[in-house]
Amino acid sequence: MSVRYEPGATLVHRLDPRAKLAAQVGIAVAALAHTTPRGLVALTLLAGVILALARTSPTAALAEFALVLPFLVGGPLIEGVTISPVGFSIEQAIPPALAAYRTVLLLLVAAVYVRTTPIRESRAAIQRTVPGKPGQLLGVGVGFVFRFLPLLRRDIARLRDGSAARLGTERSIRERMRLVAVGGLNRAFQRAERFELAVQARCLAWNPTLPRLRFARRDAPVLALAAGLLAVTVI
Amino acid sequence: MSTETQQVELIGDEVVGNLVRAALLAALTGAFAYVTFPNPASPTSVTLQVLGVFMSGLLLGPVWGGVSMTLYLAAGAVGVPVFEGAAAGFGPLVGTTAGFLWSYPLAAIAIGAIAYGGIETDADLDAPLWQLIAALVAGTVIIYALGAAGLVVLGNLSVEAAVVGGTLTFLPAEAVKATVAVGIVRADELSAT
Repeated sequence: MSVRYEPGATLVHRLDPRAKLAAQVGIAVAALAHTTPRGLVALTLLAGVILALARTSPTAALAEFALVLPFLVGGPLIEGVTISPVGFSIEQAIPPALAAYRTVLLLLVAAVYVRTTPIRESRAAIQRTVPGKPGQLLGVGVGFVFRFLPLLRRDIARLRDGSAARLGTERSIRERMRLVAVGGLNRAFQRAERFELAVQARCLAWNPTLPRLRFARRDAPVLALAAGLLAVTVI
Repeated sequence: MSTETQQVELIGDEVVGNLVRAALLAALTGAFAYVTFPNPASPTSVTLQVLGVFMSGLLLGPVWGGVSMTLYLAAGAVGVPVFEGAAAGFGPLVGTTAGFLWSYPLAAIAIGAIAYGGIETDADLDAPLWQLIAALVAGTVIIYALGAAGLVVLGNLSVEAAVVGGTLTFLPAEAVKATVAVGIVRADELSAT
C-alpha cells in the first residue's frame, strides 16, 4: 500500500473535500460517457495536471492498485481471443482496452484524493452533504471503520502467522478459511462489545463537533470543472 | 469572538450497539480483503471479502447488514483502504470491477431478509439449513450478476467473456465460503456474539 493521506501544503491539499469529491464525480461521469480515444486523451491531460498539482507520482499511485491490474489487462486479452479461427482479434480487444485505460485514469485521480484528504475531513464532508440522520450515521460509521481496520488486520495477520507456525498451511482451504473467519469474527465482536460500552459511557451524539468546512475562492474552478464535465456529458 | 451553543442529541443505546457492530463487520470485510487463498478453479487468488458480506447479512440481518456494507463502500470511497489489494478511493467504485462492490449492500440485505424471513432480526438466527443455503445462494447470485453486468457495461467486455472470466472461475471458491458461513452460524462457533 503506497498511497495514503500525507500532510502537505499543495493546492489540492487546501481544497474543500466536497469540491474534490464533486470533481471526481464529474470526471468519472465524463469518462464513462466519452470512452473514445479523443475523450481519453483529454482525460489523460486532466489527470496529469491533477497529479502535478498534488505533487503525486503516477507510478506510486498505480502501485497501490497493483492487484487490480491483472483484471484490467485480462479483460482485453480474453475478449481478443477468437476460437474459430484460433487467433487474436485486435479489433475485438480495443473496446475493453479503452475501458481498462479509463479505469487506470480514474484510479489515479482517486489516489490524489486519498493522498490529499484526511479521513476526518472526508467524514465531515459526508455529514454535511448527506442530509439528516443517514448522513450522520454514515459519517460516524466511516470514522469507526477507519479506526478499527488496522486493528482487525493485525488480529488476522497474527492468526495466520500462528496457524502457519503450526503447519496450518497444510490444512484444506476450507479449514484455513474457517479458522481465519471464526478468529476474525470473534475478535471483531469482542472489540465491538468493549467499544460499544466505551461509546455509551462517553455519550455518543448525533451532532459531534466536526472540522469546519468552508468553500473558498480556490474551490470555484474545481466546482466549475465538475459542473462543466457534467454539462458536457448531458449535452 | 462568537460563542456557539447547541443542543447535544445523544444516539440511543440500541442504535449505538448496532452501528458499532455494523462498522466492525465493515472493517472486518476490509481486513478480509487482505487475506488471499489459492483459487481451486483458476491460477488467480481469492480473498475473503464475500465472506464478510455473507456474515454481515447472516449476523446483523437485512437492515444493519445493508448499513454495514454501505459503510464499507463509503469508507472505501473516502480513502480507507478496504477494497481488494488495499485499494481505496472513488476510482474502484467506477472501475471495471465496480459491479461487484455495488452489489455488496444489496446482497447483504437479501441474505438477511431470506435468513430471518423478513426485516425483523431476532437475537438468535435459528433458520433451518435450507433457508441459510437459499439466502447465501441468492446473495452469491446478486454479487456475480451485478459483477458480470459491471464487467460488460464498465469494462466493455462481451457477456460470454464476463461470465467465464469474471464469474465461473470464482464460483467454486464462493461455494467453499458459503459452507464456512453456514458452519459458523449452525455450529455456534462464535463466542462473543
